[in-house]
Amino acid sequence: MKRTTFFQFTAPSNIVMIVLLIFPLMYAVWLGMNFITFRTINEPVFVGLENFRTVLADPAFWASLRWTLIIVVVTVPIHMILGFVIALFLDQVAGKMRAFYLAAALIPMIVVPLIGTIIFKQLFDPPGLVAWAYKTITGNLFIFNATSMKALILVHTIWIITPWAIVLFFAGMQTLPEEQVDASSIDGANRLQQIWHVMIPHLRPLILLTLLIAVMDMFRLFDNVFVLTRLNPVFGADTVMTYNYRTATVVNRLGLGNAVAVILVIAIVVALIPLLYVSYRDQIKAR
Amino acid sequence: MRPITNPLARIGVHVFLWAVVLYSTAPFIWTILNSFKTKRDANAATPKLIFDPTLRSYADVLLKSAPDNGVLIGFGIFAIVLMLVVVGFLAKRLPLPTKYVYWGIAGALALLVWGLPRVVKTGEIYDNFTNTVIIATGAVLISVAIGSVAGYALARYTGISGIVILLAAIVFRSLPRLGYILPFYQVGQDTGLWDTYWLVIIVLVAINQPFTIWMMRAFFMTVPREIENAAMVDGATRFGAFWRVVIPVVWPGIIATSLFMLLLVYHEFILISILTQSKQTLTVAMAQFIGGVSVPGSVPRQSAAAVISVIPLVIVVLIFQKQFVRGIGAGAVKG
Repeated sequence: MKRTTFFQFTAPSNIVMIVLLIFPLMYAVWLGMNFITFRTINEPVFVGLENFRTVLADPAFWASLRWTLIIVVVTVPIHMILGFVIALFLDQVAGKMRAFYLAAALIPMIVVPLIGTIIFKQLFDPPGLVAWAYKTITGNLFIFNATSMKALILVHTIWIITPWAIVLFFAGMQTLPEEQVDASSIDGANRLQQIWHVMIPHLRPLILLTLLIAVMDMFRLFDNVFVLTRLNPVFGADTVMTYNYRTATVVNRLGLGNAVAVILVIAIVVALIPLLYVSYRDQIKAR
Repeated sequence: MRPITNPLARIGVHVFLWAVVLYSTAPFIWTILNSFKTKRDANAATPKLIFDPTLRSYADVLLKSAPDNGVLIGFGIFAIVLMLVVVGFLAKRLPLPTKYVYWGIAGALALLVWGLPRVVKTGEIYDNFTNTVIIATGAVLISVAIGSVAGYALARYTGISGIVILLAAIVFRSLPRLGYILPFYQVGQDTGLWDTYWLVIIVLVAINQPFTIWMMRAFFMTVPREIENAAMVDGATRFGAFWRVVIPVVWPGIIATSLFMLLLVYHEFILISILTQSKQTLTVAMAQFIGGVSVPGSVPRQSAAAVISVIPLVIVVLIFQKQFVRGIGAGAVKG
């Protein structure tokens, strides 16, 4: 394909991305250097790098970052193991039943996160099933505190993201050549050894991809934490995203909120460099 | 992997998978039950699994006021939908070309959606539903149209600028949305586009474009170059070859990408809630229930609203489940 044809074909897409992704990002950086509240939304006052200094000196920012990292460290490995095991079992069934099981397993991912979380929370609010079970067993009312709220966020996050891992691993398992597995069983490998020595090496690129997507998405976790905590500071369960939202809307410092977003953008881009380097090498090799 | 043959182990597999089914759907089953309860039953100290089901909450959410001849209208709508479904199933046997039959059904459904509020006094959720349909259709169509042309070019072009665009797309896919809220809001206010469908649609297209071009590119990579080269030797232009020869081959990929786009648009909450006041989607409208969760009387209504909001998406995705799963596979294994 010629260079000019390439640019003609990609023009609509490029224009949309430049006008609506790159320009607004540059504007966001500038807004991050201003003092803006809802009242003065059209009269920003330039304060330079003051906002960035304020954010980096705020212990709440570092606490939210720490909590986000805990979420990553806990949910990412658990959801991958869970997804892998469920995919393994799904791979054992065929036909109509497989389609049924798969459809049911996908539900947490299809249902809108915001609504799914409202539904999930119903179980824990006073007339709910879990709240009732807790009261019946312990005799106390179920009330959220910092620990139980954080535990619920972890459980719920795993519940939402596991279907992605199931589908990715399941799709990968369909591409596993049967001959390789058969050859290993002739060599006397049992099922566990087959999984460990044949299947997992085959899925390695996919495992890496799932890991990267999950880590990236965990840094954008917002909807479910927002619904579960309702931004109540009692729980101390702010992720970087809800911290950002709180700074902008509840605290009413819009410029400061943008500064938080810009800091996060820089952090994410820096964290992405190894991935970008690997994809760059792959693309160069593939052409 | 070969299936296990031991009958006992096979039962074990199914038991495990039923546990997964329960784990994934339990909250929804509970909510669906709640949506059919009266306020009393929903707030009972001991949760009730057996109760007199009522459609009261659905009527409350869907209608502003109950019409006098509600049964007749309900029956009429049911009959029309049933007829369209039957026509849909028979589409291949009718003397008309199948394509026209499907277009006709789509047109009739659109007419039904448009005409319903003129017959019954529908609740606010109905406007949210039409907003969702308009925004989702617009965003999916535009996004997939421009994304597939770009994805095709990215799959075929070997120059360095293609790689730069792809890497930039990875970066923009992983960026948080919150930084964009204020710029979009201000620009929307300044241009007068705020609170219109146009701004919401084009912003959703842009924010999801990195994902769309990667996924479409993965599908175009699976198409051998020979077929379009043959067409071009026969005198077709590059675009002609793309349109007549390549597009028909990647049709399943286009469906998969559209489904994903639909999922992303339907799930979007923050951006839409900031960009519009009067054109809220179902998801944004549901946010009103976040604060009122523990208000006792609201549980059945909240449940009914949740069920109504989620059902259209679940039905569409489950209809295309096969393409959906294969789409994730293709996108992931290749890219």
